[in-house]
Amino acid sequence: MQLRTTARLLPLLAPVHLLILSVIVLPSLYVVWLSLNMSSFGQAPSFVGLQNYVRVLADPAFHHALLNTVVLVVVAVHLELAIGLGMALLFASGLPFRRFLLVAVLAPYAVSEVTAVVMWRFLFDPDAGPITLALRALNLPTLDWSFEPSHAMTLIGLLTIWLHLPFTFVIVYAARLAIPAELYEAARIDGATRWQAFRRVTLPLLAPAMLIALLFRYIFAFRLFSEAWLLTKGGPARSTEVVAIYLYQEAFSFNAFGPAAATAWIMVVISLVLAGAYVVLLRRGGLTHAH
Amino acid sequence: MRTDSLRTVSWRTDSWRTERWLIGLGKAAAVAAILLWSLFPILFIAVSSLKPGQDIFAVPPKWIFTPTLKHYAELWRSWGVFFDALLNSLLITVGATLLAIVASTCAGYVYSRHSGRWFGASIAGLIIVRLIPPIVVTLPLFPIVNTLGLNDTHLVLILLYATFFVSLGTVLMRTFMDQIPRELDEAASIDGASRLTILRKVIVPLAMPGVLAVAVFVIVFSWNEFLFAFVFTATRAKTAPLVISEMIGSIDGVDWGILFAASTVQLVPVLLFVVFMNRYLVAGLTAGSTKG
Repeated sequence: MQLRTTARLLPLLAPVHLLILSVIVLPSLYVVWLSLNMSSFGQAPSFVGLQNYVRVLADPAFHHALLNTVVLVVVAVHLELAIGLGMALLFASGLPFRRFLLVAVLAPYAVSEVTAVVMWRFLFDPDAGPITLALRALNLPTLDWSFEPSHAMTLIGLLTIWLHLPFTFVIVYAARLAIPAELYEAARIDGATRWQAFRRVTLPLLAPAMLIALLFRYIFAFRLFSEAWLLTKGGPARSTEVVAIYLYQEAFSFNAFGPAAATAWIMVVISLVLAGAYVVLLRRGGLTHAH
Repeated sequence: MRTDSLRTVSWRTDSWRTERWLIGLGKAAAVAAILLWSLFPILFIAVSSLKPGQDIFAVPPKWIFTPTLKHYAELWRSWGVFFDALLNSLLITVGATLLAIVASTCAGYVYSRHSGRWFGASIAGLIIVRLIPPIVVTLPLFPIVNTLGLNDTHLVLILLYATFFVSLGTVLMRTFMDQIPRELDEAASIDGASRLTILRKVIVPLAMPGVLAVAVFVIVFSWNEFLFAFVFTATRAKTAPLVISEMIGSIDGVDWGILFAASTVQLVPVLLFVVFMNRYLVAGLTAGSTKG
């Protein structure tokens, strides 16, 4: 009986599971094998054990890429959460034309990374960019992102915050709307100030949603590729490479499939650790979210 | 206690009025900043695409000018490949969306109507697997796709884009279908309807908001995706974002007018789509916020 039910359900489950298995699971497992071999395009692989991992972990270029990625993830994602939280509280405090404002805030969600790069490259163009010109007119420092690696990283950070703020904002805003107004009334009657109400009511109740948004954004920022690639191609001199660009370069520019595969599995493991944290939260809080 | 605090409140009325005024002002400033941040870059390229050549670089930026379609004409003349790429993007987006919707609807239905240890574990597996970075699978898929002769075809992108959204799609469909009473399936099943008929005639019409939410995610992703298109296509199946990236990197230096025109053409349809479907986007983003 049990078996027959499963057999009848199989055709309905098959498309999703076949796609996931053949496009994600099996290729990822193949990457494990690849990472243990020395191989290049059109060359027979030879088993080298963990040598690829050792090579990648000892490579200064990888250290640099990892550092860039971690800085981006830590700074950009937390900044994004802070802005998203501020915006959610502003929206919840009552705004006229809220419907229109919500659509305006969601707009960047529709923009491709390529188009966003076009926009921000021009806005910050060192010669003609309107923002550069405005900053210069105000005697403020400008971003020399085409020469200065740290400035390029700043621009990549801005770009990625701009693109993903709608996601973070919606998650936090939805959680804020779910807080019953009675709690704030009760806090007011108890004589709480705005700040106390925020500290004691809003923040603890928003914490699970904020944590979910954070984890998802960590995972997605960690794989960041397009923004950095389209803005600088990782240059000058590999200084703005992130881990995904390092992987791409190893695989498709240097044909070093082994080290690239090792990098890939380092990425997978870090992503899965973050995903594991998400599942633990999910079990505990009953909250799930998907990007 | 209560009367006490009420007295304090009336005591403070004056300073409260000032405070309210200040808060209003602060809010107005914050709203202006939000609008500027979200919309200015988008409006800027759309407006600039209509500016005559020199006005793009005018200092200070010119807001009043005679609009011209010159850059669009130039785009049509010298980047015909961009319009082929738009068609490719359209075909791939439609294909990926249909595939993702059909697959997620079927699986979401099963997960909504059946539970148990294996179902719970397999749906958690679906979510976790989805978190593997896409660039990881490009590596092994590249030689496989080549061997199968699928390189530079629409099919490979359709499969990839659909796959990266069926996990989310399944979870969303399950969430939306959980709200449809099981009694409806049972009634239809007693009337002799098959499982597929029930799904098609009863469940899908009622789960339409879920279908639309999934569609919004897949469409926006497929229309905009860069990495897979960059790795797996070269000429025949090239998508619009890829051609724009080539324009950015073209050797003759960047022709901003044409680039703005192409970006606007690529952006406007999906922007309008998101504006009209914003309800489903928000519903989709928050629908996950139920029991896992």
